[in-house]
Amino acid sequence: MTHDRIYDTFRRRTRRPVGGIGLGAIVAGVGLGFVAAGLAARRPRSANPVKRSRNKREALRLGRDGAAIMGASVLFDSALEHLRGDFRRDEMYVAPLTGATAMAAALAEPRRRKRGRVLEVTHLSSVGIGIAGMGFHLRNISRRPGGISWNNLFYAAPLGAPGALIMSGLFGMVTHRMAQAEGYEHLHGRELACLTALALVAESGEVALLHFRGAFHDKAMYLPVTLPPLAAAGLMAQAIYPHRHFRRPLTLLLRAVEGLGYVGTGFHALGVARNSAGWRNWRQTTLAGPPMPAPISFAGLGKTGRAALDLLAVGEDQPRQNKERAAI
Amino acid sequence: MTQDAPRNDRPRAVNGHAPDVFKREGQVPMREYPKNAPVDFVIVGAGCGGSVLAAKLAEAGMSVVLFDAGPFFQPRRDFASDEREQEKLYWLDPRISDGDDPIELGANNSGRAVGGSSVHFQMVSLRFRPEWFKARSKLGYGRDWPVDWREMWRYYDEVEEALKISGPIRYPWGPDRGRYPYREHEVNEAGLVLARGAEALGVDWAPTPLCTVSAPSGKSPPCAYRGMCKIGCSINAKQSMLITYVPRAIKAGAEVRDLAMVGRIETGADGRATGVSYYRDGKWRFQKAENVVAAGYSIETPRLLLNSSTAQHPQGLGNADGLVGRNLMVHANDAVWGEFDEEIRWYKGPPSMATCEHWNYADDDPSKNFDGGYSFMSQGPLPGDFAGTLTSSTGMFGDDLLEAMGRYNRMAGLKMVGESMPQVDNRVTLADETDELGLPRAKVTHSFCDNDRRLQGHGRKFMSRMMRAAGGKNLFETQSTAHLMGGCPMGDDPETSVTDDMGRVWNVDNLWICDGSLMPTGGGVNPAMTILANAARIADRIIDARFD
Ligand SMILES: Cc1cc2nc3c(=O)[nH]c(=O)nc-3n(C[C@H](O)[C@H](O)[C@H](O)COP(=O)(O)OP(=O)(O)OC[C@H]3O[C@@H](n4cnc5c(N)ncnc54)[C@H](O)[C@@H]3O)c2cc1C
Ligand code: SF4
Repeated sequence: MTHDRIYDTFRRRTRRPVGGIGLGAIVAGVGLGFVAAGLAARRPRSANPVKRSRNKREALRLGRDGAAIMGASVLFDSALEHLRGDFRRDEMYVAPLTGATAMAAALAEPRRRKRGRVLEVTHLSSVGIGIAGMGFHLRNISRRPGGISWNNLFYAAPLGAPGALIMSGLFGMVTHRMAQAEGYEHLHGRELACLTALALVAESGEVALLHFRGAFHDKAMYLPVTLPPLAAAGLMAQAIYPHRHFRRPLTLLLRAVEGLGYVGTGFHALGVARNSAGWRNWRQTTLAGPPMPAPISFAGLGKTGRAALDLLAVGEDQPRQNKERAAI
Repeated sequence: MTQDAPRNDRPRAVNGHAPDVFKREGQVPMREYPKNAPVDFVIVGAGCGGSVLAAKLAEAGMSVVLFDAGPFFQPRRDFASDEREQEKLYWLDPRISDGDDPIELGANNSGRAVGGSSVHFQMVSLRFRPEWFKARSKLGYGRDWPVDWREMWRYYDEVEEALKISGPIRYPWGPDRGRYPYREHEVNEAGLVLARGAEALGVDWAPTPLCTVSAPSGKSPPCAYRGMCKIGCSINAKQSMLITYVPRAIKAGAEVRDLAMVGRIETGADGRATGVSYYRDGKWRFQKAENVVAAGYSIETPRLLLNSSTAQHPQGLGNADGLVGRNLMVHANDAVWGEFDEEIRWYKGPPSMATCEHWNYADDDPSKNFDGGYSFMSQGPLPGDFAGTLTSSTGMFGDDLLEAMGRYNRMAGLKMVGESMPQVDNRVTLADETDELGLPRAKVTHSFCDNDRRLQGHGRKFMSRMMRAAGGKNLFETQSTAHLMGGCPMGDDPETSVTDDMGRVWNVDNLWICDGSLMPTGGGVNPAMTILANAARIADRIIDARFD
């Protein structure tokens, strides 16, 4: 087992492995700091010089919130999981920190006039670090006996988890771009629909693996592997062939996926309670039981999905608006 | 333990209630039967065999009273994380052990509690190799079972589902076994030592199918990987009989009588069983029954049959040919231990999380110089247990022992479950000495044969190679035995077996056996799943016979 410097320092100071409340508090503190920073960085809405359609505003808001939720999910989920892994390697701190910056950057959107280079760089670095994280996780798995075996896929570093960071960065980037440009709503809508569909499929894949590990012992565990892929199919259809048909039921489905994020968190809390000694023993059971911060990412994807549909609607209304403007 | 905790020496399943095993306090309703009216079935022994049979017969509407000599524990209150305290789970009443290779009896082979040995077993849940059910005709050694492997395969499925066995998705050996109901557990560091070694030597390994849940099930929380399994799981993740089939039996209307030692099976003038005499709450009592089932495991079942002699059955029940108690088998439990540079912390999690069954299936390997087979598993003995192993096998003591135990967290080990041949001279008889109740003590005579020794030597050598390949240093070997099988083998021929294929004792048509003593051969895997599957099969046969 390899340890790195921070781990060793902690261990020397406290005479026990990194863990417990102390470190959790540090990470949560960092996270909250970034939330505050993000909120502060937001520009008041009244400063928007150009009038925007309600749909576009709604889409920007949904895209921003979706990206922020994904970032928050990465922040808390990786903090929890890496705490479980005792932060044995220093690189393990990078994930929650990037989750926090991704969330803060997303919240700082939408920027209009200014390029916002810092934000662009932050979004892109989330993507890069997510990819690097996948590499780390793959290396962790392939070094263990059994290689790509079920035991390692179930219990070693999860291959799919850093994907949420990639998604958070990409959603941030799309929101950023759509805030900057006018007239490309239809294109952006299609992009966002496609991206959300892919993210939903990937996320459901990860859930399928972990719920399979839990032997689908509760029937509700089938929900996140059925609703999101359906929504993904709908979104993909819209990306390829945008059409007003079915948008209303698809919106409802996306709201259901979003709801699943909140309800799932509740289910996971009940799952924690079903571990030995339940919440009374939370310092152990929140680490051993189903991860509380994981389901919320579906709420983020439900939102970005709706953002895509709103953008498509804006795009489809545009020629009409332009014509009207020309007539005046 | 708190001061007002109920005592272990008074029956708890009384006054129409049994302890609620999922709570610290509390009871569940339980039906009770009068002693002087015959119940359909009296079952002696609430272990693997007895509990499954009781649940299935009661669920089919029969009246059942299930006796056990041991207490009815409530794990959440009664089980401590303390090796000495938990010795209360074992059958430690003295027995006499002799022969060339006398077996150490007690903690290593039998329990005494409602739930039987499954309360403290180590949860390794393996199936027999199909050919072993016809070992004599297909592989040329031992005896044939009077059962087809495909039938047993179905019953393995049934009991694995009932116990939510957590096993690997692909099991490398033997025919397809469908998917285990729950997923495999995360293999601990001690298991990864086996895995590394196996990969270095080019043989398969697998996460061990275990009888503890990897996700919540009913009222059981998932395993918390604290590794107290061998001294009783206090959180009820382990799916022992005590928290599975016994509650099922009670719910279906069976009565459990705990702390009730059955001394004799009584027979009438016609030679048929009439009921059992048992000692409970300070008195000898009698329970009438239409049928009696002995399910006390390989020593106590023969002891009970032998002690139930009458003028009509002068040598004991079912023993006209002198076969009761013979063909007793153990598993060789030889082990190789070694030190590692890195921390292993082998006490974490169930003790045997990785397994290798290579030598149960490698018939054609030129180095195989024995009949039968063996499997082996990674190890995680608790400190007291391991200190005992060091002392008894190396004679280590005092400062040396202290120093060796200082390396406890960097140790790993591999231990075999090695088949031994059924031999008529390995047997249970009655000693002249009697116990506190005046019952003759069991005498167990045991010797290994040459084949057994060759198999053990092969195993130790192979496990040493694997330990070295995994990076183990300062290796040392130990020898011991585990498990009991046989003693009252079932068969097709009354001349060579004690019961027929459904456990009915030849010549006493309402006396049955349903436990590990029925096993004609022991196989190279831990026996509980086979005993459970066989009990489930016998239950169906009895139910079918009754309603036909
Ligand atoms: C430490 C240990 C670890 C083990 N680990 C494993 C493992 O990992 N995997 C595996 O497959 N197997 C394991 N085993 C073996 C397994 O537990 C037994 O093979 C199995 O429980 C035997 O089932 P049984 O029904 O024949 O007897 P038991 O389960 O032993 O039940 C017999 C019951 O009968 C009662 N009894 C006996 N005589 C009387 C009487 N006269 N009156 C009233 N009651 C009586 C006893 O009190 C006991 O409760 C282990 C055994 C031990 C001891
Ligand atoms: S390791 Fe699991 S099965 Fe064993 S005692 Fe602990 S919780 Fe029970």
